[in-house]
Amino acid sequence: MEGLEALFHGFSVAITAHHIILMIIGVLLGILVGVLPGLGAPNGVSLLLPLTFTMDPVAAIILLTSMYWGALFGGSTTSILFNIPGEPSSVATTFDGYPMAKQGRATQALSYAFLSAGFGALLGVIVITLLSGWVARFAMQFSPAEYFAVYFLAFASFVGFGGASPLKTIVAIGTGFTLAAVGMDSVSGNLRLTYGFDQLVAGISFLVAVIGLFGIGELVITIEDGLRLQGLRARISPRDVLNTALSMPRHWLALLRSGLVGCWMGITPGGPTAASFMSYGLAKRFSRDRDKFGKGEPEGIISPETADHAAGTCAMLPMLALGVPGSATAAVLLGGLMIWGLNPGPMLFIERPDFVWGLIASMYLGNVVAVILVLSTVPLFAAILRIPFSIFGPAIVVVCLVGAYTVGSKGFDLWLVLVFGVLGYAFKKLDYPIAPLILAMVIGDKAEDTFRQSLIMSKGSLSIFWSNPLVAGLMTLAFILLLSPIAVSFLRSLRKGSVA
Amino acid sequence: MISRFGAELVMAIIVAVFGLIITLGALEFGVGWSPSGPEPGTFPFYVGLIVTVAGVGIIFQTLIQRAYRDESFLTSAQLRSVIFFSLPIVALVAVSLWVGLYVGMALYLFASMKFQGGYRAGFSALVAIGMAVSLYLILEIGFQTPLLKGPLEDALGL
Repeated sequence: MEGLEALFHGFSVAITAHHIILMIIGVLLGILVGVLPGLGAPNGVSLLLPLTFTMDPVAAIILLTSMYWGALFGGSTTSILFNIPGEPSSVATTFDGYPMAKQGRATQALSYAFLSAGFGALLGVIVITLLSGWVARFAMQFSPAEYFAVYFLAFASFVGFGGASPLKTIVAIGTGFTLAAVGMDSVSGNLRLTYGFDQLVAGISFLVAVIGLFGIGELVITIEDGLRLQGLRARISPRDVLNTALSMPRHWLALLRSGLVGCWMGITPGGPTAASFMSYGLAKRFSRDRDKFGKGEPEGIISPETADHAAGTCAMLPMLALGVPGSATAAVLLGGLMIWGLNPGPMLFIERPDFVWGLIASMYLGNVVAVILVLSTVPLFAAILRIPFSIFGPAIVVVCLVGAYTVGSKGFDLWLVLVFGVLGYAFKKLDYPIAPLILAMVIGDKAEDTFRQSLIMSKGSLSIFWSNPLVAGLMTLAFILLLSPIAVSFLRSLRKGSVA
Repeated sequence: MISRFGAELVMAIIVAVFGLIITLGALEFGVGWSPSGPEPGTFPFYVGLIVTVAGVGIIFQTLIQRAYRDESFLTSAQLRSVIFFSLPIVALVAVSLWVGLYVGMALYLFASMKFQGGYRAGFSALVAIGMAVSLYLILEIGFQTPLLKGPLEDALGL
């Protein structure tokens, strides 16, 4: 098995004292941003990314992905102890996690969450190990037309599966593409869409956008209702953790089912949030104790957590092998790869196998480190949340502005962050999805390039997107997804009509 | 109180106008076919057009479905807390561009703790200066990443 061999090589790259220290720092910072409202995985990674510009890419990606794992775990802590999801993807964990903690079983609830999250993540990494080389080899045959079709499919699945209003999703994607097009055109060298502003010549950084959209926007929403944190006490007793761990195999079916749901939703860009809700719904439907859900049922914690982390991890697969990120955080990481001078996609597996397999190996280790660290630091982070909002709210604002300035050392970016903050607030309040905007902003230039290259090859004929079974299949699937909301609402109105 | 219905409409109108500005802006760079392939404006032109159409679609959807009619977008109490939180941030950016980010953040943290949090001046100053100094140590010394500086740093020779 060449995958296994490559993986062992990866371990030899990943396991150094320097990398393990970075892993620990990354996980701890990740838990911190996951726990604090207003900071989450995408903007946590965006804030740290400028500081890695000068680092070695392997060390940098280990630091940033560890932060991603930590943030996924941190989000569950607040869901269970405070009934406040630190991340959108841990909303489903509050349904049974908080009731269980309220019954005085906080340790069990947290252990169930972290252990099943760890299981989901490991399942995700195994899927990546087994499939990524194969996917990359398959993608080697892609011409620009197939690439464009894959990008198109990724965005169409946001419209079809995303859950938000299809029109609003299209607006979000279009806005992302537009923002990506501002500044120098990578094909012709022309300046576009600057409208006479010199500050826009260099383009708009997606990092500044993420910091504003997720950071400032989310903080303002938090402030609206005045944040009242009423946390439950959490003292982790090792004996309870052990007992919970021993009872985990009893829930093997829920673990496996949720893991598969998560992997599927992570690879197709459905994202961790959709995965966790879907998995919770399935667990409830198939359970014999359906009435216990919502009152502290273990499988009500295990299912969303496993799926959330499996999806979060699997989102790295299309990012590495195809250059199409499966989640907002994966999109930020992809942007990071490009900033470090790497070219995400199948060629990365040939040009930089040490990077790819070092990263995959570090995912195994990083998640184990994360489970241990998150369990042992629960009391510390629960204490941090008791700091009054009038101190840490402004502190988060400062960190966001400082982070935005470090992206390009431009004062103009400070204003841009505020503009994106207003936009993020409006988007959140009016249910416009933000993740597709980020994805479009990061891969906008690439999608446009592949589109233009395809048309150059076909001398302007759109038929190139139906010129062979592969590209035609991808495009057809994308159109089916794109049109599915219309079909669904049409069927619904038919049914309503027949009833009346 | 601001109604959700009104907010939806205003946002959709902004979206449609934004799409239109992009569509018209793209025309300047050519949207046709040139010997080297599609002209630079082509892609933004169609994206702008799609955004405009989607925006108009949302306007109609909101008007026809009569959804959100009685829903609140923002109560006046919420609006007050949003403004009280946001205005100091705008001031922070404006002041920082003039005196540098370190001094700006210290002033901002001090002011929000003292006047919004109700902490004593001494404690507020301690936290504010502590945060500025620790960020200085982390960024400038640890990561060699310079932040925007102003007259105070010049005077101190940093």
